[in-house]
Amino acid sequence: MLDQLKQLETEALAAFSVTENMNDLEAARVAFMGRKGRLADIMSQLPSLSNEEKRAAGQMANEVKAAIEGAFAAAQSRIESAFAELNAERAWIDTTLPGEEPGLGHVHLTTQAIADIMEIFSKLGFNRQRHPDLDWDYYAFESLNMPKEHPARDEWETFFIADPDKDVVQMGELGKVVLTPHTSNAQVREMQKGQLPIRMINIGKTYRRQATARHLPMFHQFEGLMIDENVSITDLRGVFDFFVKRFFGEGTKTRLRPFHFRFTEPSFELDISCTVCEGEGFVNGTKCKLCKGGWLELGGAGMVHPNVLKAGGIDPKKYTGFAFGWGVERTAMMRGGLKMDDIRLMYRNDLRFLKQF
Amino acid sequence: MNILASYKWLKEYLKTDLTPEEFARELSLKSMSVESIDKGAEKFAGMVVGVIKEVKPHPKADRLRITVVDVGSRMVEIVCGGSNLEVDQKVFVALPGARARWHGEGDLVELAETEIRGVKSVGMICAPAEVGFEKLQGGEKEIWDLTKVTQAPAGTPIAEALDLEDTIFDIEITTNRPDCMGIIGLAREAGAAVEAPFVWSAPQLPTAAAGISVTIEASKLCPRYIAATVKNVKVGPSPWWLQKKLLQAGHRPINNIVDITNFVLHEYGQPLHAFDASKVNGGIAVRLAKKGEALKALDGKDYQLTSKHLVICDTERPLAVAGVMGGLESGTTQTTTSVIFEAATFEAVSIRKTARDLNLYSDSQLVFEKGLSTEALPAALARALQLAAEIAGGEVVGITDARVGEHEAESYPVLFKKIRARIGVDISDENMETILTRLGFILAKQGSRVVATVPYWREHDIEAEVDLTEEIARMYGYHKMPLTLPTAPPPILADDQTLVWEAWVKRFLASVGYTEFFGYSFIDSKSLEKYGISPMDAVRVLNPLAEDLSHLRPSLMPSLLRDIERNQANYPHAKVFELSRVHLPKSGDIASDAFRLVIAHYGVDNAEHAYQELRGALELMARKAGLHFHFGGQVTDTRWHSARSTQIAFGEGDARKVVGTLGQVGDVYQQAFGILRPIFVAEIDLEMLMPHMRTALSYVPVSEFPVVTRDISFVVTERTEFTALEQMMKAQNILVQKVALVDIYRGKGVEEGKKSITLSVTFGSTERTLTSEEVEEIMTTIGHGLTGQFGAALRS
Repeated sequence: MLDQLKQLETEALAAFSVTENMNDLEAARVAFMGRKGRLADIMSQLPSLSNEEKRAAGQMANEVKAAIEGAFAAAQSRIESAFAELNAERAWIDTTLPGEEPGLGHVHLTTQAIADIMEIFSKLGFNRQRHPDLDWDYYAFESLNMPKEHPARDEWETFFIADPDKDVVQMGELGKVVLTPHTSNAQVREMQKGQLPIRMINIGKTYRRQATARHLPMFHQFEGLMIDENVSITDLRGVFDFFVKRFFGEGTKTRLRPFHFRFTEPSFELDISCTVCEGEGFVNGTKCKLCKGGWLELGGAGMVHPNVLKAGGIDPKKYTGFAFGWGVERTAMMRGGLKMDDIRLMYRNDLRFLKQF
Repeated sequence: MNILASYKWLKEYLKTDLTPEEFARELSLKSMSVESIDKGAEKFAGMVVGVIKEVKPHPKADRLRITVVDVGSRMVEIVCGGSNLEVDQKVFVALPGARARWHGEGDLVELAETEIRGVKSVGMICAPAEVGFEKLQGGEKEIWDLTKVTQAPAGTPIAEALDLEDTIFDIEITTNRPDCMGIIGLAREAGAAVEAPFVWSAPQLPTAAAGISVTIEASKLCPRYIAATVKNVKVGPSPWWLQKKLLQAGHRPINNIVDITNFVLHEYGQPLHAFDASKVNGGIAVRLAKKGEALKALDGKDYQLTSKHLVICDTERPLAVAGVMGGLESGTTQTTTSVIFEAATFEAVSIRKTARDLNLYSDSQLVFEKGLSTEALPAALARALQLAAEIAGGEVVGITDARVGEHEAESYPVLFKKIRARIGVDISDENMETILTRLGFILAKQGSRVVATVPYWREHDIEAEVDLTEEIARMYGYHKMPLTLPTAPPPILADDQTLVWEAWVKRFLASVGYTEFFGYSFIDSKSLEKYGISPMDAVRVLNPLAEDLSHLRPSLMPSLLRDIERNQANYPHAKVFELSRVHLPKSGDIASDAFRLVIAHYGVDNAEHAYQELRGALELMARKAGLHFHFGGQVTDTRWHSARSTQIAFGEGDARKVVGTLGQVGDVYQQAFGILRPIFVAEIDLEMLMPHMRTALSYVPVSEFPVVTRDISFVVTERTEFTALEQMMKAQNILVQKVALVDIYRGKGVEEGKKSITLSVTFGSTERTLTSEEVEEIMTTIGHGLTGQFGAALRS
């Protein structure tokens, strides 16, 4: 019987080593180890043995059983890993295939810039208001301390609106209707709402009679207006600097330069350190092509002129304020370092351009 | 307006040792912006005085000559095309390494030793235009003869020989500061900015007998007019020192008399004019032109004058358009021996209107229209008379000073406390007083107040007390001020909601695959007409820049179709949208603006699918914005394809309103715009919808019990509508929750005129789990409905 057990072990190990799938393996296991298998068969002889023989056979049977179970587990893992290999081979995909982009659309560069600008000013409690881009001369010029025939008006080559019946649309003191050459028409309109304090942003389309590779007949400006008690020049500096550092990066420097606008007093131009040469004025020893001596002009600003406050029904003795305004497209391009040879691409709706952003 | 200011010239009146860069920086921060700095020493590097020693013919070119030129350290051979070459002539030589402009055209190029038609040439003998003096008389072709210009020997650097070791600043002068359009005014302003002494004493008019009679008839338009008669003048070229100053200032030297007026214009910022005294009959009158009068101006053109134009006349005829341009006939010529210098002040608006009216502009007019002071005249005229004696040998024989009223200077209180509050910096009273005094204000105590009297050169600029704030703030230095953020509570006010939704809709559409079109507000009448819109129904621009910018868009459709046509070659199909305000005309009022939205698929292959996709996007957008759209209703407008379009409505019951159209652009319109394949568009009046858009959320409880879905396929006639099928199925049992389209198939295996539809029916209850038996039962009734009501053939 001991020989039979030894023989069984040898046969079982041999059988397990050649099986190639789980079904055959299981069948082999049942054949050797099952309730009616060969081991059970051999063990059925046990009662006919002497006690001493029984002990020896029992001990051997345990050893044989352990060996067979070990071999079974080994065969099982051999088959499983072979199967997994086979599966992996069948499941192969080409990981060098190009990516397929999700069908995402694109918002226009200008739309993106407007959102970014607005987000920053929102943090300072400014809110965006809607004002017309066609407006009376009164709001575009006259109420901004620019009487008719004032030479300051020459800085804006203005479009006028024709009346279907007469020559131009014109109404008493409001004057003619113009395509707003700047967003500052919002100033007196916002003041006339009669709510103080004011922290307004107006972002709108503006129009000037110019169309070159560098100037568009239509572009966007945004206008900021803050009116409250005790608003000072240092507040304007702070707000401007806050915007610039968030929009262009923390390392960007700002400065105010004196300038002249009729609707602000004092008036400034707002400069930022050049985004290309980082304010050095030179790139690798040659003069920076983007800026003037390390500075880029961003826009105009100033403390609201008392005459403008009066036109808006606000007492200049009690309130002061500042206003600023500059070009959205220019600001966006300056941040991106985009050098568009021909800015007219902006509004030509060429998908080859639009889909880049 | 800009001024080209020589640093040397400025330093005649301003005692400063600052480097040009330091000076420019200080001036830019406190006063006027210096836009560029041009250094003569750099510009003329490698250029020297040469003396021609020999002129030989060129063996291969008749028009060229070979010159042997002494350039100081050596003799060089230079091939030259100039026809005025002579031995012993002093010439302007640019040696290899110098940068010049060939024939005065194109970019600056660095010279190198070269061969010209087989002969070696070391450098170039220059014409004025080739080295930056385009405005010097003597032409662009002829070489520049320096024999009489300089005493310097051969080899002397040009900058030294011609006194060009100077820095020229290009400075932007703001429109309120015409006083800085002259060297003296600029030096005075800069003196305050850089805190350096300004040294100038106004020259005095010589005492002279009364001169030619001057009558000011239009007294409002001409407050003061001084005429000085100078005899025995010798008209000829100005000396180099004066020509050089004019050239550096951007003026063209003409003759000594004209040059004097330009010189004084640039130095004093005061325009002058010189008449040939022999051409002036009787006295001078300043009056409005009479109907029918005309003038041939110095530009050689004839101008018809009207009673709106101020003119300077003699007893017979107009001699000049006042402040704008002199007449050709009364101008100085080579034969002039006696001149009348005019120094006058004219009313700014009148000058401006006249220039625009006649389309006639000049350096003088540009300054006059900014507003000048009557008190600036004597010094400027005195300077001209001094120069006339010095360079033209003239003798003053008579001066007439005609003026209307006396000059009165304005004064304003200096409100120290208020100024500090506006600036936000604690600047002392003394500091403010110093700044104002340096700028020329006269300060005086009036009771407890300090009052500042405005200097005459600032009289059109300083017009209110607040203007003193700017003077103090800028001279204190904006760059020295701290940065503060407003600490007061902000207003509690939301952004305008239409603008919020505008941004939201754009973002939504981009997120579901549409690319934003962003066009001009302008449109041309042809595009309007192509889309069947009469240009009369659009806002018209009175002074358009070009024909294609003649109107404002009343609809986004014409530009959409135009832009699709432009894109179809590069992008045969795409999904695009535009959201913009359009302008709708209102007679006698500003046009109203309204938000419109167009969403388009162009280059469509499968019309039904394009419709579905577009509608799906709209429905999703509506749902996210708390809206519900109803689709249906015949579109009768021929701009839309009658069989492939539907109205979009919003609102329930009586409040339901049509807010747009969804469908295919009518064939005729598609063709009119030259578009090759079908376009599906949703056009929506967003302005109407915006007040109803909401971000508030709602939800339906989620059922705890599972749903059951069953697909059903059947063949029906082509005109069977989905909505009818859906309604029938839902009507069978309340447990039918949803009917969804899986597929529509036409073609092989399906009879012509019919389509095979697969729908997915969802069953569910919020109270229990359904049994398959009851689901099958409902499916059977649905099957009966399909065969009975729709004549459908069920597929298994």
